[in-house]
This record gives sequence, C-alpha cells and structure tokens, in this order.
Amino acid sequence: MNKLVKLFITSISAITLTLVSFTSSFAKVDGEYIVLGSAISLTGKYSSNGVHTQNGYNMAVDRINKMGGVKVGGKSYKFEIIYYDDESNPKRAAQLAERLIKQDGVHYMLGPYSSGLTKAIAPVTEKYKIPMVEANGASRSLFTKGYKYLFAVLSPANQYLEVAIDLAVEKNGGKPVRIAQAFEQDAFSQDVRLGILDAAKRTGSEIIIDDKLPKELNDMAATLAKVKATKPDVLVVSGHTKGALTAIRQISEMKVDVPMLAMTHCDAAKLSKQHGKNSEYALCASQWHKNLSYKDKFFGSGKKYDKDFKKEFGYAPPYQSAESSAALLVFKDAFERANSFDRDKVRDALVDTEMQTFYGNIKFGPGGQNVAKPMILFQVRCKGDTCENKVVAPTKWASDKFYHPIPKWSERG
Amino acid sequence: MNKVKQKDLILYSGLIILGLAAPYLFSAFKVQLTYLCVLIVLAMTWNLQGGEMGYNSFGNILFYGLGMYLTASVQVGMFFSLAEWTESGGEKTFVHTTAQYFQGMGVGLLVAAIVPTIVAGAIGYAILGLRGHYFAICTLGLGIAAGEIAGGIEIIGAGQGFTTPPFPAEIVDPEARGQFFYFLSFLVLVLAFVFVKYIYGSRFRLILNAIRDNEDKAEAMGIQTMKYKIVGWMCSAFFCGLAGGIMGGLIGYIDSTDVAFDGREMGVFMVLMAILGGKGTLWGPIIGATLFHFFKEGLWTFILGWQYVALGVLIVVIVVYFPEGLMGWLREKYPERFGEVIDEKDRKAQVELK
Repeated sequence: MNKLVKLFITSISAITLTLVSFTSSFAKVDGEYIVLGSAISLTGKYSSNGVHTQNGYNMAVDRINKMGGVKVGGKSYKFEIIYYDDESNPKRAAQLAERLIKQDGVHYMLGPYSSGLTKAIAPVTEKYKIPMVEANGASRSLFTKGYKYLFAVLSPANQYLEVAIDLAVEKNGGKPVRIAQAFEQDAFSQDVRLGILDAAKRTGSEIIIDDKLPKELNDMAATLAKVKATKPDVLVVSGHTKGALTAIRQISEMKVDVPMLAMTHCDAAKLSKQHGKNSEYALCASQWHKNLSYKDKFFGSGKKYDKDFKKEFGYAPPYQSAESSAALLVFKDAFERANSFDRDKVRDALVDTEMQTFYGNIKFGPGGQNVAKPMILFQVRCKGDTCENKVVAPTKWASDKFYHPIPKWSERG
Repeated sequence: MNKVKQKDLILYSGLIILGLAAPYLFSAFKVQLTYLCVLIVLAMTWNLQGGEMGYNSFGNILFYGLGMYLTASVQVGMFFSLAEWTESGGEKTFVHTTAQYFQGMGVGLLVAAIVPTIVAGAIGYAILGLRGHYFAICTLGLGIAAGEIAGGIEIIGAGQGFTTPPFPAEIVDPEARGQFFYFLSFLVLVLAFVFVKYIYGSRFRLILNAIRDNEDKAEAMGIQTMKYKIVGWMCSAFFCGLAGGIMGGLIGYIDSTDVAFDGREMGVFMVLMAILGGKGTLWGPIIGATLFHFFKEGLWTFILGWQYVALGVLIVVIVVYFPEGLMGWLREKYPERFGEVIDEKDRKAQVELK
C-alpha cells in the first residue's frame, strides 16, 4: 500500500507540473498574429455544414493575410484561427469555448455552426466579455437575451421562410393557404417554424400538418403520407442538410404531389447536384446567392467569390461558407476602426459596424443580429440534366420568374 | 489495522487538500476539473449496479437528464413563469438577483436529487425483474425515450432547448462562476465517495455481490433481492440527479438529446470509465474516470475529426488487454499490495507446472 500511495502522489505531482506549465502558452496577439478561436463541428450530425463554415473562415483568413493583413497602430497583423471539434454537441462546445478563452488565451471568437451550439457558447463569451462574431447561429432567441458581445452577420431564422408563405398566398389569389410543415427538433428549425406560425397568423392561413422530425434525420415518410392524403397548398420542411436531402429523396420516391415545396439548406446539401431533376422546383431560403450585386475589395463580387471558392475547395460555396467569410471581414474592419486590441474597444467598434461585403450589407441591431440584409429565395430549375439555383425573390435580384404550381409527378419527365 | 487507517487518513486528507486547492492551482482548468468531478460521480455510482450488482444499466443517464431539467426548471419557476422563460423569441428578459439565483439552485438541486430517486424506485420496481442483457437493453430504451419526450414538451423548451439562468451579473469576478460550480461538484464528489466507501464496508455490498454472483442462490438464502436491487439503483439515481443539476447550470444550455439525455456520450462514458478503471472496485471508477478525462482532453484536440476512432481503439484495447480494468490488472500483477495473501510455495508450484 505504501508504494501505491507513493506512486499516486508522484504521478499527481507530475500531472500538476505539466498542467501548470501548460497554462497561458498562447496570447491574444502572438507576434504578428491576431489569434481567433472557434469550436467547429467537424464530426457529428452537423459535420458537413461545419466544414462549409471552416472553409469559409479559412478562405477569408488566407485572403486577408495575403492582401496586407489587419493594420492596427501602424503595424500589419495576420489572422490565425485555433479550431477545436465540438462534435456537434452543445455541451462540448461550451466546454471548448471555455478552453479557448482560459487556456489558449483567445480574446476574440468566431461562431460555431448552428443555433444550438451558438446558444451554448454565447453565455461563456459573454461571461468573459469576449467579442464573438458568428455567422451560423440564426435562432431569434439568441438576440433577445441582451448579449452585448454577440454579433451575427446573418438574418434571424424566423425570417427564412416567412416570405415563402406570403408568396403562396399571393399565388393563391390573396386567399389563405393550407400549410403542411415538418421541422427538425433543434433550435434553428424550430425558430423557422415560429416564423411560419407568424406568417400563417398574419395571412389567416391554416396549418394542417405540424410534425416534428428527430435530430438524426433520415426518414419523414410518415409526414409525407399525411401530405399525400390531405393535399396542402404548401409543404415546408427544415432540418439542416439532412432534412433537405431526406425530403427530396422521399418526396420523389413516394411521388408526393404538392403545389409548393419550401425548404432550407438546399445549397449546403448540394441538392441540385445530388438529386438533379428530382429537386427541381424546390423553393429555398438562403442568406446569400452569388448573383447578388454586393461588392467588397477582398473578394470582389459574389460571382468572383464563387469562382475562387470552387478553385480552392472544389465545390460551389453554400451561403454558410459565404457568411463565414464575411465574419472575418467584419472582424478586420472592427480591429482597424478600433485601432487597438482592447476587447471593449473592439466590441464598441463592432457595434458601429456599417459596411458592405460581397455577402451583403452588415449593420448590427441592438440584439446583435444583422438588420441590413434581407433573406432571399431561390428555386431549383433544370435545363436538361443540369440544375441550378435561380433567385426568384425579392424582385430586386430575381433572375427568374417563380414557377408555380409544381407539376404533378405523372407529368414530369 | 491502526497503521493502515493512518495511511488512509494521509491519503484522504491529501486528496481533499488537493481538491480544495485545485481551482486556485489550475485556475484555467476549472471547468475541466468540474467535469472530472461529475464524471467520477457518475462512474462511481454506475459501478454500484454495473460493478457490484452485475446489472449493466445504460439508463442512469435518465436520472442525470432529469436532474438537469428539474434544477433549471425549479430555479426559473420559483421566481418567473417557466413558460414565458422558455418561449423562444420572447421579448422579455428576466434577470435573477444573486439571492434568487442561489436559492433557486439550492432548492433545484434538492428536487433534482429527490425526484430521480423516487423515479428510480418506481421504474426499478417495474423493470428490475429483468436480468442480464434484457435489463441492459431495457434501460438503453429509457434514456432514448426520455430524450424524445423531453424534446416535445413546450414548457421546458422542447426542441429549442432550455437556456438555464445566467450566473448573477452582480458578481463581477469572472472566476466566481467557475469556482462556484467546481466546489459544488467537488462537494457532491466527496459526498458520493463517503457514501460509496460506507457501502463498501457494509453488508449491503455483500448482498449486491451475492446478487451479481448468483441471484437465485441469494434469493434462496432468504435475501429479498428485489428490494436491494431497487435500493441500489435509487442510490445511484440520487447522485446522478445531483450531477445533472450541476452540469445544467455549468453548461448554461440544455438540449433534450445532446445535453440532458445524452446517452450517446455521457451514458456510454460512465460505463466505459468504470470498466476502464475496473468495475467492482472502489478506486477503479475514480481512476478510470480520471484517465479517461485526461485522455479525452489531452488527446482529442490533437486528432481533430478522428477522436471517435481513437475512442473506439481505446475501447477495443481495454476489452482485449484489460478485461478486468486497470485495477483488475494491477491486482493480478501485484496481488500482495491488495492485501491478498499468497502462499509462495503454492505460487512456485504453479509456475513449475506451467
């Protein structure tokens, strides 16, 4: 027993020493680098969107560093990001945020992917007064908590598909419509649902199916069977990438005829590529589209961003990547205007942000959400076998007319 | 006998001093240390059924999640309308005063300990008649079902999740929150250890062991096995509920399946940690949890994206090379240190036979 105790004490003191020597090995500004921290979903259910986010961040970091970096106090600094994998788990994300701030000494954070994870990280960054610019947490409840250090470059989730309901009512001759909806059980999708509920109330529309889908989403046949039986005017589905893929797969398999199909995450799921003609006519909410006419000096236009991104990563950038890149532009702008690395000065500079990026105009409301940028809707349209996303609303950017109603499966080639 | 006790005393007081000093020594690691305490509590109490009683439960996560939701609900519900708090997109902001926060937390933890214990009694009465694999599968279902049900209850946030009350803003020191949760979890850890240690010296443990080794014989001996099985499970539920309540406050955001009824992670981890250290021993789960936590925190960030593969390899290695866990392996290697008397002649004779 004596030896065991000795061994135990020795090992504990060894661990103690290592831990103590580990602390504070990093600093907020390390030589010529400004260190940002981010927990990203590299594994788990959000892994595909997590990678889109990370690619967006990396693309912007490279570009900004190449084009002269960030100028603060007459000196040029480069961005560097410390990533951890949050495994798509809010618990892990909160823990990693703590770790980034306390152990890695990060003083500025970039957001994770998804509203749920942002919800878990925001209390931590708020506690330590760390400014966080996030690009992938759209849930409205994030912006009603009075957070002072949270800034989102995207429009809140409830705005995603509200327009689609208005569009359906308009196509119905101004009369209320019958809505069927199915949403994943997560913070983001449930917020999209609240937006639909608001829109339904406003237009007097009736919700005839209101289903919840599980998180590891791969089957929604039960909902679709009901849709077949009740014939609603609009079917709304939201459940991140897997939701979009599952919906299209099963709608085409079950030959569900519905005049209008509104979804989220079509471009992140690469729907038009993966399901080709089966995904035609799907109406999708998006934060960004390459055809929009916004510009900045780092990425040029949306089209140029699209081209550069394709060259770098081999696929067309979904809006998740674009908004993530925009987050870095916001940080750069704020650092330069603050002309300081003082967290509160940077935070104040972020509050005053008013800029245009290739992704859209950015100006933060009192809750931290971006109030300067509208959502857009695009529709998947095919020519022969190649399908593309065409912007159909709002009319300012619409490149195509909205096709309604969706032809029946029996009439589709 | 006295001498051993004295050594124990040194060990325990050393550990307690280390535990109390830890948040000051490793100020940056407070949250990880809090996790460690909670993990140890979970592993140690899981060991009561899994190790001592031989009933492998995957259902303890039910009590953990229940404790988490209960603490947060009570903490909010005592002062505000719970429905308005969890309603997403609500424009109102509610702020707990310092006194309200701690009162709510205290009462919440109390409820979080008591209710899961009662639930364990009720469920245990229904399903502890099942044995072996049947019990394991049944409890696996419990956690999953609870997650799905919680995800549909609007008043606790449903799929939106439940943001727990933020730490009172009146306490300006940013370290205070970490310290509060650390000491809370350390207190629960000490309580759990004292309790389990007490059980290890009691007849109760022998009964649990008897159930594990041969339940029918135990029954034939006149032991009311059902009663002891239920009580055993209730003991675990008590501490799981407390652990869950603390974690909910620490994480700050409760999601039905990813944080509260997180059978895929916490539920599996507690089993894994107990097995890694050696189930059916007092120190095994503690060592297992500590090693596991160090492995997880130390290695995982260096193998971004591959950590679950590494975890899989770890499980295989444990099962193949340390089927009895680290404690079991040590015991086999150095039996004399565990107080087992070995007849030298007999051992030599055996070696020669080989």
